[in-house]
Amino acid sequence: MKTHPIEQEELMAYLDGELPVQRAAEAAAHLENCRGCQSLAADLQGVQRRLLEWQVDVGQASGLPKEIPVPEKRPRKVWRWAAAFVSVGVAGVLVVSLGQLNSRRAALQGDRIVTARLPKFAAQERQVADALMSVPIIARTSEITITTNNFDQSRSAMEEIVKRRNGYFGQLNVNANPNSGRTLDATLKIPAPQREPAIAELKKLGRVEFESQTGEEVTAQSMDLEARLSTAHNTEQRLTDILRNRTGKLSDVLAVEESLSRVRGEIEKMEAERKALANRVDFLALQIHLQENYRQKPDSIVGRLRDAAASGYEGLVSGITGAILLLLKAGPSLIFWAVVLFFPARFAWRKLRRR
Amino acid sequence: MVSDEALMLEFQGGSREAFEELFARYREPLYGFFRRRLESKARADDLMQETFLAVIRATSRYQPRALVRTYLYGIAIKLLAAERRRDRRSDPAPEPEIANIDNSLWVRRALEQLDPQEREILMLREYEQLSYSEISDLLRLPVNTVRSRLFRARMSLKNHLEPIPNRDRKGASAEDQP
Repeated sequence: MKTHPIEQEELMAYLDGELPVQRAAEAAAHLENCRGCQSLAADLQGVQRRLLEWQVDVGQASGLPKEIPVPEKRPRKVWRWAAAFVSVGVAGVLVVSLGQLNSRRAALQGDRIVTARLPKFAAQERQVADALMSVPIIARTSEITITTNNFDQSRSAMEEIVKRRNGYFGQLNVNANPNSGRTLDATLKIPAPQREPAIAELKKLGRVEFESQTGEEVTAQSMDLEARLSTAHNTEQRLTDILRNRTGKLSDVLAVEESLSRVRGEIEKMEAERKALANRVDFLALQIHLQENYRQKPDSIVGRLRDAAASGYEGLVSGITGAILLLLKAGPSLIFWAVVLFFPARFAWRKLRRR
Repeated sequence: MVSDEALMLEFQGGSREAFEELFARYREPLYGFFRRRLESKARADDLMQETFLAVIRATSRYQPRALVRTYLYGIAIKLLAAERRRDRRSDPAPEPEIANIDNSLWVRRALEQLDPQEREILMLREYEQLSYSEISDLLRLPVNTVRSRLFRARMSLKNHLEPIPNRDRKGASAEDQP
């Protein structure tokens, strides 16, 4: 069976001028020598010709309406300055909320990028960065295991603490086994400033069996992300400017569009990363294991008698089963040796009796 | 020649001439777009005008993220969808206008037999001359899906169109006989 290096859909795309140059050259070379593809190409072109039979009289379209509400010319400079102020404000809020920043190297890197974009406001941003650069960005996690005598009360108290401290439950599982106490496993998200008081209150829910706290410094990660995000925004701005002022061919515009779309995709991905990182920094992730202190109740006399009867019955069944198993296991060997030894034994017995 | 996008930005800045130029460029293509999809000439003309009205109303929100052509056809597709919804809610569709019954009848009948989305892709490609990428943006489909559906549409259309000439010839020869 003959295989075609160019798929049928690709051939169609070639005829439509939609294949990249390299692939189009391959398609053209193949089409020159392949009769099957020539036939398909003829079919596709035939369909196109038939479709062109349907023409509409576009000359009947009405003209321009007399009244066109032309938009007022905007005061561009004022708008740009306002946008610049808003940008700086937003950037400042982001910088502060993101996480109370950072290393000298990363700060300087960030400054360079901001300077390139908004020269007028670089100094203010640098001051903010300098003020914050000594504070490391830490993502904290904790784990506590608590045993409680009153499970329900402790659970209610825990929910109340989380609510009061403006936290939330990331995950919550409760298990109730018949022969042991109930357990609760939860992941709590507590705002970073509320971390210490929240942990102190949670420890009062019962006896603390285990406690651990860890902190991961994400300063470099955060600053690196910020720098990459700034660069991507700059690239996006440049591409938008190119698109706005372009006078080239459609293929150039499409190439710019493609790049712009890729950059915007990267920006969205980085924004999501930044949000996730900010969430890790702003909220303590606290794993709590709450165990009920379970004590088995003493049994009544009736219960003990019932247990004894059940135990006796289980012993009887177990004995009978054991005997049957032993017989089945050793029976064939016993029969064999009995048959083999029967006649010698009887002969010996008779001899002894005669004496 | 000034690009459509530059004209749009000029119009955004308050230039009536820029809008007139855009209107001149897209009046007929948009009318053709609606005319091929609607039975009524008057409605096709109204919707063409409404497309430009929508552009005027949304001028302040316009961002040069896509080609103006894609932007205009995007508005046109939305208006067409609204018109079709209205038609479905109202009484039965009016009979086609007499002027429509011409040599292209077989083509239109063959197109009607296609899957609606495949037909739309084919028409956008053949009549509106949009690229695969533009169709992909307009219909929110991956480019590869556009390509495969376009191929399917063309192959189906070929099958629907093929018997027609034979039938025509047979009909003609029967009529010619005394």
